[in-house]
Amino acid sequence: MSFFDLIHPEVALDALPTIFKGLLLTLSVCLVCGVLSLSLGMFVALGRMSKSRILRISLGAYVQFFRSTPLILQLIYIYFALPFAGIHIPPLPAGIMGLTLHYTAYLCEVYRGAIEAVPKGQRDAARALGMRNRVVMARVIMPQAVRTIIPALCNYMVQLLKDTSLLSVVTVQEMMFRGQIFAAETYDYFTVYSIVFLIYFAVGFPGIKLVDYLEKRMKKGYASRSVIKAVNINETTTQGGK
Amino acid sequence: MIEIKNLYKSFGGDEVLKDICLTVQKGQVLGIIGPSGSGKSTLLRCINNLELPTKGTIHINEKLAYQDELGKVFSETEISITRSKVGMVFQHFNLFPHMTVLQNVYAGPKFVLGQDEEEYRSEALAILGSVGLAEKRDQYPEQLSGGQQQRVGIARALAMKPDVILFDEVTSALDPELVGEVLGVLKKLAEAGMTMLIVTHEMGFVRQVADRVIFMDEGRIVEENSPAEFFDNPQHERTRSFLSSVLSHTD
Repeated sequence: MSFFDLIHPEVALDALPTIFKGLLLTLSVCLVCGVLSLSLGMFVALGRMSKSRILRISLGAYVQFFRSTPLILQLIYIYFALPFAGIHIPPLPAGIMGLTLHYTAYLCEVYRGAIEAVPKGQRDAARALGMRNRVVMARVIMPQAVRTIIPALCNYMVQLLKDTSLLSVVTVQEMMFRGQIFAAETYDYFTVYSIVFLIYFAVGFPGIKLVDYLEKRMKKGYASRSVIKAVNINETTTQGGK
Repeated sequence: MIEIKNLYKSFGGDEVLKDICLTVQKGQVLGIIGPSGSGKSTLLRCINNLELPTKGTIHINEKLAYQDELGKVFSETEISITRSKVGMVFQHFNLFPHMTVLQNVYAGPKFVLGQDEEEYRSEALAILGSVGLAEKRDQYPEQLSGGQQQRVGIARALAMKPDVILFDEVTSALDPELVGEVLGVLKKLAEAGMTMLIVTHEMGFVRQVADRVIFMDEGRIVEENSPAEFFDNPQHERTRSFLSSVLSHTD
């Protein structure tokens, strides 16, 4: 029996509309949580490096807690446990909240790690010129930190895309949830889950390739960009001369 | 120009600077020598407020810099203004790797002084020319030799038109054959009347260029003298033993 004998095209065709609806929600949730955690992560990172002790300690506690416990438990807790404390949150907001809290904690560490990895001498040199702290950050530290930050962020975004499937446990009707329902209705688990697999792969794989590309590119020296620029300038000048 | 009174600096329980008193006149070149760990670099870093002294005062251009007598720290704006007049060149160059050579040189005028592009570009080009690197202007620091990088470091400090420049072991990280080109630039600056504080292990250079020499050991200034007196007739036993050990293996 081959793989293709196990796939039933008619079931697959029936499944596609509902699975695509799920995919749409999967992508939307990913986008919303992505934007939220990318920006909140930056604020939390700055807070964790601030002078205020209270801010540093409380944000540190938040980050460590969300990094050391399972995402699925965090989601279940928000949706199933909090109602006992009188806090009722509908499935989609609960899912978005859980994912955002979780990913903000991770992204914060990406930012913080990259900023702190810029050699101390860079700060010294910038300050010695008389740059104020904000200018040091904007003109010297961040332009160097982004080389570490960008590939790592893309990596986390792919992971976020996959982790939206966990929202199925809090009854958010994203792609995984729709697949589960359809599989249970038709009893054709093989066909349905194969399709779900393929679609996650089709979306996730380009993301992973992008991460690889960015990592390679960012590892190159700063000068490799200037070579391209110099070639372009030469071309335009020689053409102009003709 | 610079007046330091009773300066102390501790890191944790470690007292790195002890009761430093030092005056540097405008146009003077001060050589600072001593064994590693004697506090030379910390002293320079205090003058630029990269380290905050534990006690004592620093006057720059007759004004209290960074802190008042009671140790209250001035505002970020005031500190930045003072720093912008005190240039610094580092052992490991600390050039900004994401900027071209020219961008490094005009980083200060552009981001601190807020000059017009025309102004900061033409001045930076002139300064880059004066350290002999005009043709490298569009390269990145990683494409230059150590000696060239350090000359860019000097040009970057010069672009702010500082009143004084602090040199923190600026040739220590260089291949021996590249030391000369950097010392040459320093010598030219000294001849042009720049006020300079030079922490270095290049004894011959100090002797030739400095107006005055201080010798530091264990956080204190042990001896202060003219270069000729200092090298030919050192007063303190500690200075003598340091000089004999350093000079015997460089000669």
